[in-house]
Amino acid sequence: MAYTGVTPSARSRGMVREARHLLFTVAPGATWIVIFLVLPSAYLMAVAFMSNGPYGLPEMPLSLESFRRLAGFGFLGWSPGNLYTLLRSLWQTLVSTGLVVIVAYPIAYYISTCRAKWRPIMLLLVVVPSWTNQVIRTFGWMNLLAPGTPLSNLAEGLGFIAPNMGLYPSNFAVTLGLVYNFLPFMVLPLYAAFEKLDTAQVEAAQDLFASPVRAFWHAVFPQTLPGLLAGIVLVAIPAFGMYVIPELLGGGKGMMLGNLVANQFAGGANWPLGAAGAILMLIATFIGLFAMRRIGKRLGGGEEVVI
Amino acid sequence: MRKRTLKRGLTGFWWFTLAFLYLPLAVVVLFSFNASNSAATFTGISLRWYGRLMGNEEILSAFSNSMILAITSSVIALGIGCLIGYGMYRHRHRKLGWLIVLIYLPIVLPDIVFGISEMAFFVQVHRLTGLLQPGLVTMIIAHVTFQIPFVALIVYSRFVGLDPTLFEAAKDLYATPIKRVVHFMLPTIKPALISAFFLSFTLSVDDFVISFFTAGPESATLPIYIWGAIKKGVSPEINAIATLMIGAVAIAAIISLVFSRRRQA
Amino acid sequence: MTINKTALALSVGAALLAGSVQAQENKLYLFNWTEYMDPEIIEAFEEKYDVDVVQNYFNSLPEMFAKLNAGGVSQYDIIVPSNYYVPRLIQTGLVQKLDKSKLANLDNVMAQFQDPAYDPGAEYSAPYQWGTTGIVYNTETFPDAPKSWSLLFDPEVNPDHPFALMGDGQVSMGGACAYLGHGYDCTDMNAWKEAARLLIDTKGRDTFSGFSDGTPALQQLARGVTHVGLSYNGDYLFFKDEDPETFETLDFMIPDEGAEMWVDAMLIPSEAPNPDMAHKFIDFILDAEVGAQLSNYNYYASPNAAAEPYLDAVLTEPPVQPSEADMERLRFTPSLEGDALQTFQQLWSEVQSR
Repeated sequence: MAYTGVTPSARSRGMVREARHLLFTVAPGATWIVIFLVLPSAYLMAVAFMSNGPYGLPEMPLSLESFRRLAGFGFLGWSPGNLYTLLRSLWQTLVSTGLVVIVAYPIAYYISTCRAKWRPIMLLLVVVPSWTNQVIRTFGWMNLLAPGTPLSNLAEGLGFIAPNMGLYPSNFAVTLGLVYNFLPFMVLPLYAAFEKLDTAQVEAAQDLFASPVRAFWHAVFPQTLPGLLAGIVLVAIPAFGMYVIPELLGGGKGMMLGNLVANQFAGGANWPLGAAGAILMLIATFIGLFAMRRIGKRLGGGEEVVI
Repeated sequence: MRKRTLKRGLTGFWWFTLAFLYLPLAVVVLFSFNASNSAATFTGISLRWYGRLMGNEEILSAFSNSMILAITSSVIALGIGCLIGYGMYRHRHRKLGWLIVLIYLPIVLPDIVFGISEMAFFVQVHRLTGLLQPGLVTMIIAHVTFQIPFVALIVYSRFVGLDPTLFEAAKDLYATPIKRVVHFMLPTIKPALISAFFLSFTLSVDDFVISFFTAGPESATLPIYIWGAIKKGVSPEINAIATLMIGAVAIAAIISLVFSRRRQA
Repeated sequence: MTINKTALALSVGAALLAGSVQAQENKLYLFNWTEYMDPEIIEAFEEKYDVDVVQNYFNSLPEMFAKLNAGGVSQYDIIVPSNYYVPRLIQTGLVQKLDKSKLANLDNVMAQFQDPAYDPGAEYSAPYQWGTTGIVYNTETFPDAPKSWSLLFDPEVNPDHPFALMGDGQVSMGGACAYLGHGYDCTDMNAWKEAARLLIDTKGRDTFSGFSDGTPALQQLARGVTHVGLSYNGDYLFFKDEDPETFETLDFMIPDEGAEMWVDAMLIPSEAPNPDMAHKFIDFILDAEVGAQLSNYNYYASPNAAAEPYLDAVLTEPPVQPSEADMERLRFTPSLEGDALQTFQQLWSEVQSR
């Protein structure tokens, strides 16, 4: 009796201590994120449901006007501008993510087949450009694709672009900039997957299936899937909301959702509309994450997908 | 036979990709030495654009702002993130789903949404209380917010990789929790702390969008200055500043390579 | 020992705090267009009033307006917007009335700027410079360029050379309106719609290189990225003086269909940290000799009557002082508010996103 009488109180004292420990370690960071990120995002969402004041600032009363505007309805009736912007963002995300996968797959595989002592250096070589600021990287492409540069002259000679024009500004330049910017984000997780690749399984598959394509599809691809999915999340989400690259390389023709949102704040146009655009971006982000998780789970890549 | 052609093809592709990755940076470096103000033709070697950088107070202050921002925010994030990382490890058997969501939030939020949320929030707070005027302080707060999760995850994974019995041994060895922290925990997770600090620092220096939306009149960082210069259209000077930044990154890369070599050896 | 350390820390902290407070008092935050201020004027002002002038720059008025709304209203002491943004700054309460008793040099201002339409009675603003927005083009590419907006808007006049339009929507829209025969300062809804359609078509042309603000547009022209663009008369002359070789082949023109004339004015944000010093600064700029020095540096016309004797000869001839025929075709950009502003924003955002 006495024994069991003591234990619960000791246990509960222990639990209190554990709880206090948890609070002490986790609370500062959690509070920080809640105050400086959750609250601001919540405020931004509230802004989306407010009216647009005469000079672009949010005002009472609450309204759904900014969502109507986002969908393209203004006083002038419906117009497709915002829809174009949205479709352009989706298209750029899709194309650039696809291209990144196509480039990153062989690169990641190649690194994993090289001698162990070279691998860290090779990975470093892939990652180092992304340590410079994205504004600088994009500026490099502005220099490289401007009218009169060798690349532009080549494209002009081949008849891809009109004479006197450069490869930049254009939608093509934006795609290129996105691929450049996000390539390392795909190579790293794919490399991690290739490194863990079970070669016995691959060899067995090579014996089993005559064609290398089928061997790849049945043995290699499933094993690298978690890395691929992680890479897609790391590339597609930031690409969809990209601001700097379309702004600098698109030259007014390649506006994406990120620019639409930013213009409402940095161009003094319409805060509620910008906030509504931000909500759209968030929804897209969460749908993307959720879909990846589901696919990842179904295909047996039980690992946490993000990072 | 087929394998060898495959390997040869891959090697070619590898060098092609490297060229793709380094060409834009190489062009920036090359044209920073261009004698004329042209993006298309290289007319000769000159240091005139570097000369213009010298004594440009705005650039110097942008540089010092970048450094203050990156170091301060990384130190704060290191402290807070470390605690969370340890807490997550110690209590990993509990249901901490809400915490995981909270920690992933700054990572998955698109930059632009992050930036404008902070801006709108700081403006509102300032209107109501007079605090948090846009400037270095608001930028540090924003940067710490996106650095915390990375620090927490790195520290957490270091703890997970440790042998759990070590903790029991430490408990026997050191009487007080403080001694345990100083003599056992900090030394064991030192590599994680170092890499977390470097990652935070890199993230801070790499950021443009969030800084752009939270900056005040005196807190422009180098990327913000460069952005302004690009928008203004003066290009050769930008090449020179960018070259200096690329040089700094190259040095950092070499250092990290030497470190990883030493760790392997 | 510990007490000493604490005391030391406290005194250092107090000193830092005092230092930062003092620094606050001795600073003037100037938010101005890029390349629009003679550094020597700033030095002279700093010396005279023992103050540190912190300069920040904007490339376009929408950018300036957005910055003020994002906290800048309590961080800048002086802003230098153009005429058509002054009414909306006043109506949103972002600027404060000037204390004219502190502006002894106000009498130097020319009569036509003493009571401007954008700020009746000049209660909030003091003029800084005035100028025009016109077309800058490459004379080698277009040896017989028409004096017309068709250089930008007619694909037959310029079939295959890259060109840029102005990033500030009201100026590009005004240009399209003028080209269509509705006048640069059109505000009629149907005229606007037609202009917006023209802009969307123009954007769709292969040779459209983007929207560019006034000062960067000149850099693009100089580097051959574009062959026609929109910029300001004074900036054109300023850069021509800096790089005469390149600008030899570039010319500035005011289209016959009409174009923009503007006045930039100095205003004090409503929550400016140092309004006292701001008044001193405005008065300093309104001084006859300083006003002339500013115009001589900028190549813009001075609204300062007393400055006239000190002005360089170049400031008395075109393009700084437009010819009488051009002067008649120049218009102020309309200042929009209410529904008109909302309609305009929608049309312009449609142009941008197509």
